[in-house]
Amino acid sequence: MTFLSKLLKTNFPPVFSKSSPRVSYHGSRTCLYCFLLSAVILSSCNHDERNVAPTVLNEGLTTAQLQLVNDMDASDTPWAQWEQLLDNTGKPLPVDVSQATLALKANASYTARIFLLDKTQMPVYNVSEEVKDRANYHLFFYQPLPTSQPLAIPNNYPADKNDLYPAPIPTPIPAGDPLALTVSITDHDNSLQQYPVGLETKFITGSKGTGWLRVVLRHQPSLKDGSFAPGDTDMDVGFNVVIQ
Amino acid sequence: MGNVYDTDRKQRLPFATIFIREIKQGVACDSTGSYSIPSLCAGTYTIDCSSVGFTRSTVHLRIAKDLTQNFYLDPDVTTIGEVVVREKKVDERTLISQSHAELAGENLAQVRGTTLGESLKGMAGVYALQSGPSIFKPVIHGLHSNRVLIFNNGVRQEGQQWGSEHAPEIDPFIATKLTVVKGASSVQYGSDAIGGVILVEPAPLPDQSSVHGEFNLMGGSNNRMGVTSGILQGALNKKLSGLRWRVQGTYRRAGNARTPHYFIENTGFSEGNFSATLGYVRKNYGAETYYSEFNTKLGIFSGTHAESITDITAAIERARPLTPSYFSYRIARPYQQVMHQLFKTNAYYIFNNNSRVDVIFARQQNVRSEYDYVPLTGNLNPELYLRLITHTVDAIYKHKAFKKYGGCVGVSGITQGNVRRYQLLIPNFRNYGAGIFYIGRWTGDRLTLEAGVRYDYRWLRAYTVDNNSAQIITPTWNFQNVTETIGSSYTFTDHFSWSVNIGTAWRAPTVNELLSSGVHQSAVSFEIGNPNLHSERAYNIATSLHYQTSRFHGELGLYSNTINGYIFLKPDLQYIHTVRGAYPTFTYTQVDARFRGMDVTASYQLHDSLSVSAKASMLYAWNKTIHDYLQLIPSNRYEATVRYGFGDRVFFRQLYCSAGILYVEKQTRVPANSDYTVPPQAYMLVNFNTGFSVPVGKQQLIISFTANNLVNTAYRDYMDRFRYFTDEPGRNFMLRARVTF
Repeated sequence: MTFLSKLLKTNFPPVFSKSSPRVSYHGSRTCLYCFLLSAVILSSCNHDERNVAPTVLNEGLTTAQLQLVNDMDASDTPWAQWEQLLDNTGKPLPVDVSQATLALKANASYTARIFLLDKTQMPVYNVSEEVKDRANYHLFFYQPLPTSQPLAIPNNYPADKNDLYPAPIPTPIPAGDPLALTVSITDHDNSLQQYPVGLETKFITGSKGTGWLRVVLRHQPSLKDGSFAPGDTDMDVGFNVVIQ
Repeated sequence: MGNVYDTDRKQRLPFATIFIREIKQGVACDSTGSYSIPSLCAGTYTIDCSSVGFTRSTVHLRIAKDLTQNFYLDPDVTTIGEVVVREKKVDERTLISQSHAELAGENLAQVRGTTLGESLKGMAGVYALQSGPSIFKPVIHGLHSNRVLIFNNGVRQEGQQWGSEHAPEIDPFIATKLTVVKGASSVQYGSDAIGGVILVEPAPLPDQSSVHGEFNLMGGSNNRMGVTSGILQGALNKKLSGLRWRVQGTYRRAGNARTPHYFIENTGFSEGNFSATLGYVRKNYGAETYYSEFNTKLGIFSGTHAESITDITAAIERARPLTPSYFSYRIARPYQQVMHQLFKTNAYYIFNNNSRVDVIFARQQNVRSEYDYVPLTGNLNPELYLRLITHTVDAIYKHKAFKKYGGCVGVSGITQGNVRRYQLLIPNFRNYGAGIFYIGRWTGDRLTLEAGVRYDYRWLRAYTVDNNSAQIITPTWNFQNVTETIGSSYTFTDHFSWSVNIGTAWRAPTVNELLSSGVHQSAVSFEIGNPNLHSERAYNIATSLHYQTSRFHGELGLYSNTINGYIFLKPDLQYIHTVRGAYPTFTYTQVDARFRGMDVTASYQLHDSLSVSAKASMLYAWNKTIHDYLQLIPSNRYEATVRYGFGDRVFFRQLYCSAGILYVEKQTRVPANSDYTVPPQAYMLVNFNTGFSVPVGKQQLIISFTANNLVNTAYRDYMDRFRYFTDEPGRNFMLRARVTF
């Protein structure tokens, strides 16, 4: 307090001394000047908004690739890709399913891996490595369609809101013979219970036919219990499957 | 002769009453709190000094010659209900016919420690839009966000207020009075005042030279919240007389809130605020400089993270969230971090003919970072960063009164620059705005008439990237509007008065409504802007009746607010497919909407210690264009309270207890096919309050204890955006201690 009063006294003696009319006039003018000066200093605005920062998506995931190797014939390596790139504003473009068809042989067994990529980053970021590092938080679900089995990926929408299968899977699924495909997860996380992860799988085919495969990645931080329900969906993609 | 002081705010109290029992005569103090009783015979007198909201002070005096007797009045801890100032003499509002309500004194003390939105939601006609247990936005007559203006210490608060999960960045502890002006009021306050205006007003700087202040300490049981807040203020004398100062600070911290059955994970917060004021006052001029800073880190309930309709439908099906239930103060992703700085300087000059000019300049900087879940890429940046810098300047000239006619003319200017990083939710932009208005008032003995008109211009340019060419594009908009208001109030008797106001307001579409395009995470929707939107215009007619006797106080307010071009998110009934699943799309659309409702408050003093009071807020909102209801409109609510004042008992002074029930109806007026599930059921909450003061040395220590949701009811509220995922918090005990010195 004393410091403040000293400071004010030394710096502005005419303003705050006596209250004669003349001094108070000076006071009012000084007041006004201080006010205008601070207004000018503070209002000198820059135009930072003219430099538009690039759109950076923290959770970019654009591409899912399935890479299979026939257990009986190492030269039979079916491959399929589901991709949805973003435009310059970060808005998703239409899904690219031109390479999303998986051609498998009947009555065969395949060792499969799924690769997830983020092509919005340069260089392209390998998201599946991150999923592997955090395997305890992630769980894949593989759903061959049509199926006569109970759904591994629940689809409990009301009848009027069921336009929800990822492309290229049609909604609703047309009636037809079940797709003779079984997908089983072969890798495990390092939790006590060693829950499945799903980056590595085994595809077993039966008789010839066509159908679809839906793949969902669930993000289940501190919640993973081997079931679908906890957490939220990180990825929901589809593939055409032809067994010949 | 002498002066009357308010011991709480350490300043003179205007219009108190002095009554001399022996001669049954009284006088009223003037607006500066001073009085004089000329020509009184010598003798012994008993003199009472009283004022509404304060305890009576009585002195016995032996009067032989002229003397000075000052009175110091304590605020009345047992004052009930909202204090509605109706005395013509003290009403300094520019428009008096407009419906308004105030929260001050001990009513404000009872909600101390909560956020601004939570503090106001008990008032008739005021609701709150919630995002979990810690984010509250005030809702006036069904309107919120960028349709409600908040004036923080005389400056229009500018943050990212368009976001329904962006709470006002204001520390309510700076205020000694919170005023809600209900209804469209653009003429005085400028664009955006469609639903109403909230004024957060600090006390005037002190004129006593001693250093004094106030210290508050409080704790809450539910989320183990601790709050501490203090004010220190004083005035300098001698050569520095006229110089006044105040410093103020608040710190709040809380952990996970708890419903009756489980903890809501990651709902803690920590908040630290401070402000400093330096003022210089002379007889006919003065100036003030003010700086405040608001810093908060708010956890968002992790169970609300839904990435697709599957997730949200599954969450609705569940009785309780799957998130683990435990207590912690730790705030993990997802969370928000917000800093708001306000620098203000203002000056006034009073001319010899009593006309007056006021100038206010302010600069605000709002920096908001939103952190979502730790993403797959392990990146630790926020998902969203927005920095908004706003400069405002306002000048008002109150001209010389001509007999019964007075008025004021005002100009205002604003410019804002917004910079974003990371995600593109809203683009960079610059806007300029200017307005000019005139308000006049004729005051008769019983009748008051007032009218005003305003012109506003607004220019907005966005800086964004074209989605195909990747070039920077600068779409630009201009908006201009004329608004007007007319009102009157009539005093029938000393007890009964009536007022009516027709007001208009406008609002320019905000940049998110014009240009947004993307997933709104917490709403599980894909929102699409519409660059062809035009301004919203509101036409509001409101009328209120006041009746007041010594025992009864009643107020009835009716309003009808028609908004042409009301902008809202219309469901497209289509889905957009993303890598995370399908999202329903919503497009910003304009319709004509109507908000009609009624606010009722009444209180009755059964006898000296026992009183009852009741409040009701009813609201009916209608989409006139498609003949349907509007979404997210608060349901009707009713509140009843019983209070008993014990008076002074042993060393407890002004001991009182009160108990109340709040009943909130189920919202049945909702549009079809626009929500994931039906609104939650009706609920009833029981609350309890007690308080007293104890003398500690020369000071008064005021203690109060509140129990909210006393019977631990599990409920969900339609106005909580997290209603799909979790119950509201259960029982909460709060203990507050306040000492003024």
